[in-house]
Amino acid sequence: MVLMHGRGDEDMSDRFLSIESQPGQLLVNVSGCWVFDHVSELERAAAGVQPAEGARVTFQCRGLEDMDIAGAWVLYDRTQQLSADGFKTELKGIKAVHVKFLQHIIDAAAIRQYQQPEQHTGRPNPVYGAIATLGRNVAVRIEDVGRISRSIADGVRRPSLYLVGEVIKQVYLTGVQAIPVVVVITFLIGIVLAYQSSGQLEQFGAKVFVVDLVSISVMREMGVLLAAVMVAGRSGSAFAAELGVMQLNEEVDAMRVLGLNPNQMLIIPRVLGLVISLPILTLFADAAGLAGGALVAVGSAGISGLQFVERVAHSTDLSDFYVGLSKAPVFALLIATVSTLRGIQVRASAEELGQRTTMAVVQSIFLIIVADAFFATMFTRMGV
Amino acid sequence: MNSVITVRKLVNRFGDQLVHDNLDLDVYRDEILGLVGGSGTGKSVLLRSILGLQKPTSGTITVLGRRIEYQQPGPTRCWGVLFQAGALLSDLTVQQNVELPIALHSDMPLETRHELASLKLLMSGLDLSVADKYPAELSGGMRKRVSLARALALEPKILFLDEPTAGLDPIAATEFDELITWLHDNLELTIMMITHDVDSLFGICDRIAVLVDGGVIVGTMNEILKSEHPWIRRYFGVPRALRARQAALGRAHA
Repeated sequence: MVLMHGRGDEDMSDRFLSIESQPGQLLVNVSGCWVFDHVSELERAAAGVQPAEGARVTFQCRGLEDMDIAGAWVLYDRTQQLSADGFKTELKGIKAVHVKFLQHIIDAAAIRQYQQPEQHTGRPNPVYGAIATLGRNVAVRIEDVGRISRSIADGVRRPSLYLVGEVIKQVYLTGVQAIPVVVVITFLIGIVLAYQSSGQLEQFGAKVFVVDLVSISVMREMGVLLAAVMVAGRSGSAFAAELGVMQLNEEVDAMRVLGLNPNQMLIIPRVLGLVISLPILTLFADAAGLAGGALVAVGSAGISGLQFVERVAHSTDLSDFYVGLSKAPVFALLIATVSTLRGIQVRASAEELGQRTTMAVVQSIFLIIVADAFFATMFTRMGV
Repeated sequence: MNSVITVRKLVNRFGDQLVHDNLDLDVYRDEILGLVGGSGTGKSVLLRSILGLQKPTSGTITVLGRRIEYQQPGPTRCWGVLFQAGALLSDLTVQQNVELPIALHSDMPLETRHELASLKLLMSGLDLSVADKYPAELSGGMRKRVSLARALALEPKILFLDEPTAGLDPIAATEFDELITWLHDNLELTIMMITHDVDSLFGICDRIAVLVDGGVIVGTMNEILKSEHPWIRRYFGVPRALRARQAALGRAHA
């Protein structure tokens, strides 16, 4: 859009009104198209009507070609302002439709009273506010977790055919469908681990320990952690979004009214499904991680395939594998509870849905890592 | 009479189901056209096709001389749509919902924008105390009015209404009908409305378009009532339609 300045401006104003000053009166000839598209220019033109003290202002509208509500509003608004400033104003020759009906519906004062709401009304004290919010959040969270755990317990005690079907569906969606991506990333991480460590270990002439390093870290940590993070991203967001949209569509309310417990119908299948599928994914992750390590060990570190297998058998025992695997159901429980909870908390708007989904993923991953740190400490203390 | 919306040889087919079979329809300037039809006869599909929200199997649609193409920008500035559930943006307040199209289509000063949005809210029969509320905090009827205000924000020439009085109580529905008539008379609007409210059909529609057998039968209420088509005879033969007709006759005589 090109804005014209100088002479152009004059021309533009002329398109909409011209002013003739006569003694004791100001004659404003209104012309052209007073429509939405020209509102900015119309505002400027109308503001240019500045009568001398005590003058009568007459708007002559015979030259008016077209007018819509927006244009009529600008004209009407200016006449009202002039009247308020004590000028006698008159509208002449205007076609009945617009200005007439404007006058009888609009309480112009009411319109001007509207003020943009303060975007953020200032909290009295940010620190106090933050603590209060935190406290409230913790309380709400504990309450929600309690409620959900209770319905999970109920559901497990009295499993129905519906529940079994839903759980199988969730295992398929969150587990089976995630296998390819989990396998690929853990395989790659296995390769990365092997490459990074072989360079270092070679300096000590202990290259063969690459196998120990890869197998222990994949089985105890990397396999389950990567699988869990991937699942948090994939299924955590899906859970939150699914439940959030159901909340927005009043589907959750409908279930309640029908006497169906949404916690049992929606949350339990997802929680149980994930508790089953994450350990399965962990198995795949462990295998793929080892395969990645083996590829580097055999292909570039000069360790033979047989040596690799022997080394794995020697350095790791079953407890390493179980340590990794035992974390999977706990991680799954965290991801599924947090994500479904966030979804069900959606109340009103699309923006909220986005925020809750983000929260679901971020908090899932956060809790996974916190729990993992806890496990690492615990297992070390226990000597496992 | 010139036609502002022209639908020619429209075909919409979903799998085996033929919804529109060479449908022709004209909507004339300054009229209120009521669109009725049984469920599955493609009222919404027709509306969505006209709005370019849905790709018809074949056929041409012209609105104000402009050919409508699927997902291509249509004459946005010239039409306003009242969706059935309101379709307000849930993250924005009432005022922001109405201001949004104005802000996107004009560089007018902020103050004027506020004023115009408030004006449209008032015209839609709302009190300005709702301006800072969010859509989730409003009743269904109020949401419709806000949606109407938003539809009017850009000074449209054509207004599409999808079941405007559905879900409203009789008082609110009657008021909404009056509002539509008032807007139509004052703003030189062409209105196309999907409705099953027989009172609206008898009370405010100039012509009725009935979707039957993949096509459309159009006419004034009197012409439609003379139709021999079995579905139309049943539709206008049910007690509530007869009562609405009586009421409309009563108003005409009064």
